[in-house]
Amino acid sequence: MRILIFLLAGLLVVQCAREVIIDLPEEATKIVAICHFTPGQPFRIKVNYSQQVNDGTVPTPPTDVDVSVSKNGIFLDKLFRKGSGKNIYWESRDTVEPNESYSTAVRIDGLPQAEASSYVPKHVRFQPVSIRPEDITVVDLDEGYKALRIPLSLELLHIPSQQPFFAFNLTTDIDVLEYIDSVAVVDFTYENEAAGYSSDGRTLSLLHNVAEPVVLINEKFWAQGVRTLNLNALVFYRPGQNERPRRLYIEWRTLSEEFYKYHLSVARQGNNLPLSDPDAVYNNVLGGYGNFSGYSVSVDTIDLPAR
Amino acid sequence: MNKSTWLVFFLVCFCTIQSAMGQNRLAELVDFSCRDCAPADALVQLSRQTGVNIAFGDRLFARCAPVNIDIRQTPLRQVLEQISSCANVSFNFDGTQVVFFRKNQKYTLSGYVLDSETGERLIGASVRAASEKNIGTVSNEYGFFSLRLDEGVYEISVSYIGYRQERQTIEIRRDRLTRFQLHPDNSLPEVVISEKEHADTRQQKGGSPKYLAGSDLQTLPMPGGEADLLRQTALQPGIQTGVDGLGGLHVRGGNADHNLFLLDDVPVYSPSHALGLFSIYNPSTVSHVRLWKGDFPARYGGRVASVLDVRTRDGNFRDYHTSVSAGLFASSASIEGPLERDKSSFLLGVRTTYLGPWVDFFSKKGNLLTFSGDKVNYRFYDANLKLNYALSDRDRVYFSYYAGGDRFRNSYIQLYNGTDAVVTDKYNITSEWGNAIAALRWNHLLNKNLFTNTTLRYSRFIYNSQLTFNSEALYPSGKYQILYDYAQLYQTLIRDISGKTDFSFYISDRLTLRWGFALTQHNFQPGALSVNFQLPGQSPTAIDSLANILQNNERITTNETEAYFDSEFEPLKNVHVEAGLNGSVFQGENVNYRSLQPRLRIRWGRNTGWNIWGGYHQMSQYLHQIGSFNVSLPFELWVPSTQKVPPEQVRQFSAGISWQKRGWSCQAEAYDKNLDRVFTFLSSNDALFTGGAEDASGWEDRIASGTGRSKGIELVLEKNTGAFTGSIAYTFSKTTRTFPELNSGREFLFRFDRPHDVKIILQQRLNNWLDASAIWTYATGNPITLTGVKYHHASVEGEVEREVFVYTEVNGYRLPDYHRLDLALNAHFNKKKSRHSIQLGVYNAYNRSNPFYLSIDTSSEIRGKAIQYTLLPLLPVFRYEIKL
Repeated sequence: MRILIFLLAGLLVVQCAREVIIDLPEEATKIVAICHFTPGQPFRIKVNYSQQVNDGTVPTPPTDVDVSVSKNGIFLDKLFRKGSGKNIYWESRDTVEPNESYSTAVRIDGLPQAEASSYVPKHVRFQPVSIRPEDITVVDLDEGYKALRIPLSLELLHIPSQQPFFAFNLTTDIDVLEYIDSVAVVDFTYENEAAGYSSDGRTLSLLHNVAEPVVLINEKFWAQGVRTLNLNALVFYRPGQNERPRRLYIEWRTLSEEFYKYHLSVARQGNNLPLSDPDAVYNNVLGGYGNFSGYSVSVDTIDLPAR
Repeated sequence: MNKSTWLVFFLVCFCTIQSAMGQNRLAELVDFSCRDCAPADALVQLSRQTGVNIAFGDRLFARCAPVNIDIRQTPLRQVLEQISSCANVSFNFDGTQVVFFRKNQKYTLSGYVLDSETGERLIGASVRAASEKNIGTVSNEYGFFSLRLDEGVYEISVSYIGYRQERQTIEIRRDRLTRFQLHPDNSLPEVVISEKEHADTRQQKGGSPKYLAGSDLQTLPMPGGEADLLRQTALQPGIQTGVDGLGGLHVRGGNADHNLFLLDDVPVYSPSHALGLFSIYNPSTVSHVRLWKGDFPARYGGRVASVLDVRTRDGNFRDYHTSVSAGLFASSASIEGPLERDKSSFLLGVRTTYLGPWVDFFSKKGNLLTFSGDKVNYRFYDANLKLNYALSDRDRVYFSYYAGGDRFRNSYIQLYNGTDAVVTDKYNITSEWGNAIAALRWNHLLNKNLFTNTTLRYSRFIYNSQLTFNSEALYPSGKYQILYDYAQLYQTLIRDISGKTDFSFYISDRLTLRWGFALTQHNFQPGALSVNFQLPGQSPTAIDSLANILQNNERITTNETEAYFDSEFEPLKNVHVEAGLNGSVFQGENVNYRSLQPRLRIRWGRNTGWNIWGGYHQMSQYLHQIGSFNVSLPFELWVPSTQKVPPEQVRQFSAGISWQKRGWSCQAEAYDKNLDRVFTFLSSNDALFTGGAEDASGWEDRIASGTGRSKGIELVLEKNTGAFTGSIAYTFSKTTRTFPELNSGREFLFRFDRPHDVKIILQQRLNNWLDASAIWTYATGNPITLTGVKYHHASVEGEVEREVFVYTEVNGYRLPDYHRLDLALNAHFNKKKSRHSIQLGVYNAYNRSNPFYLSIDTSSEIRGKAIQYTLLPLLPVFRYEIKL
């Protein structure tokens, strides 16, 4: 039977994959503006062009752009160019203030003007974190690595009834020690190294790695009165290299709706699979593409016990 | 007023007065006494005493005993009734005299319709009193029928597709329990999806249900020659499949999980093999199939789109028979026979596939495999067992068992010759999934017209996946090192245990009542994961998180209680009403959902000629298989309704008109279906992360709730008799979905929306042993989401860059149209003790490259250039079957 099958199959003129041309309407080039702003910092806006889907080049940012920012509908500042090459951006002199609404307008000759608005949300913090040294455990790993596992219980002071949009980021400082006459002294420090985390299944399923150095928390996490995010921070170090974890930083962001929706949709699109409907990316830039969004941020520092 | 008007007026008045006077005579109070009188003598005496003429036949009171009456001041009517109470008589008063006459007595003719050769009970056979045009019924799921007839002599006609019509003269003087034995007519051509004679009953008029006879499954061309019930069901109007005929049925805009698939009355959770290429129903074991497209009666519940009720054969009660069938993709065999002649029988059917080499071949052809050492293997199997035993004429027990599964395996070994080491990568993934179903059933005839059926049911679907990947390095020094070692086991299952009792009460030929209840316990394991993972530096994160997932693994138990009441009656001549109510309670963790679902269908019409009908049906669904792909994949989870995921609800209005005469029929049916609550995963990644490779935690939070609407009109023209038969079906429809979290909250086309859908089936009997069949199908291409624009997302510091594609409209584009022609020749040879059938043909005869999947080539200079993948090109059709 097997031979018969292959004989028959050999006779077939089969073609499983072939090229076809789909009538995709030509779309005009538009401005792409991307800016995330937070209190105390100036506005920094990256401007670029949109591309046709089959354009394989990396676009070069335009240099002649008129970018302005308004606060509560009143002109605030005209942004000036900084950076060079592919990393050009526009920066304001004024800094962002908490709990305010801002809008931006981006103009390039020959293209439709791009406009967008967002706000800085009122920051929601968590209760002060206290860690008992005895709760910290050490995990032995291969290749000379160890990990500190630090239980964190981040209990929010309150949950906004609308738009509970938050993100976090864990970083660590690791000292490298030098022994002088058997006395350990800090030779240098790796600062703001990425720390890992672990949690229960439901929590992990509602955390999203996004196109920013933060982890987005799905708004559904806070359903049914959940107010606490429980994580195990994981700090990797090599004792054999005289490394010693020194501090853990917990960056906590309260996000505007624009920030949250944009990054959630970009993350989801990045994970699209064949045989499924792709995810559309949220866009709040009128006349163009991209994202203009605010957030509030705080950073808590935890000094790790010496071991 | 003219003279004639006055005349009529006076006549009416006269008659009214006379009638009133007559009634007054019967109301007159009389004294009457008679000791040990024969009723006839008593009546004569009463007549003399009152002066009222009383007329009666000699034999009316012949069997009565003498009566003793002594009553005072009693109305004459009561006296007459008392004297005549010993006999089955009634009387009229015509104004001048009392006339006694014999009452018409109704009796019940009930019993079973059997195959005369095998003794198997026939489902859906027509039983009619030939001289009484409107008196008839069909045998139920267990071959039982019941007719109420006036006392008299009748010619009873019994017919069933593929059998000679049986006519018997039966005298009805009392209730009778009988058996009709029909003889198979092998000279009849087998016709696909025809209604023929057994459509000649009131139950099968008006669109639903559609009867698909088991014997019809063998004649149409199907891939590889493997007859398939689901693919043939998909040839009905209003039913769509996923891409290229794969991936589940979508009935009138419903999701694939909205269909209730039954096998011997047990729900089946995964009705297909090989992504939907084959169904789990082994054709050699199928007896009878009924399909309802959303307008199903109240006795069916738990799904919102359709019911496909499949019954397996009982097995031969008189002789042993075997059949063996071999096609290009699969082979099957069955054996049946009596355990005790005319009392007990068995049927055992098995089927397996040799699809593996084909999958490997097409995978290589389609460049779907990564490495030259890549191997793919796939197989499936089915096994059916049915036992039954007749305890008495009124009792029978059945046992049905089905086990079936799929196994997919992909592995490779890759060697890298480096300068400092030889690295070996080994990869292996094995996925297995399948159903196990069992039913223990007791049929009992409580009395001449009350039939009961009690069933214990078990149904289980399990998906299991094992993945291993490791990388080893062998250094010239002889040092051996494991670079990477990963193993994963994933499992998900749903298991039902239930008990069910149904009653069918055939009160008269104009009224049938059905009621029943069921208790079901659903056990879910949405996903369990076990992992062993080693990778320097990263392992703690993975181990920690995955271990937690395992601890967090959910096991959910829910209970569903269901009760229904169904009625079929004729309130007026030619007006048929099917009205019912399905009520259910669903109890899960912290939830208690209740639902009342009214079902109503009214039809006007006769057995031939015109029929008009309309109906309203409301359905709820507590279990969901939430998918996000264009084909139904086996790892998509079945989950229960929870606090966050309430039941799905659908309301459907439908109306139609049909005409049937001389073997021709045409039908038009329109429907408007509102899906008040439907679900989808927010993204395909959620679907896969939840269902496929990872874990199921938090699944409730990853799905979106929305609404849907589907409306359309289905037109069918059929010819069911003669050497040339066939049908043309056309559906015009539109199906949309709306989810607040998708497409900016705007309505978008459902991914299986196909406005135009044409299905043509033609069959020609060429001679006594040869027939030809052809199928042509056409459908508008599936909607698809495409983009023409992209941009680069980059943070200010430039540490993150990502390409973002701009999709302005979900499902805003369409794939190329779908069309296909299948051809087959069927030859049948009868030998002394065997029957041989050969099918030869071709599937997708003109090798149409129908799109299965399409991806835009983002690196091409040609805008809009895409790669289109086709799964089913031109395929041969071949099957040989021998029945002994």
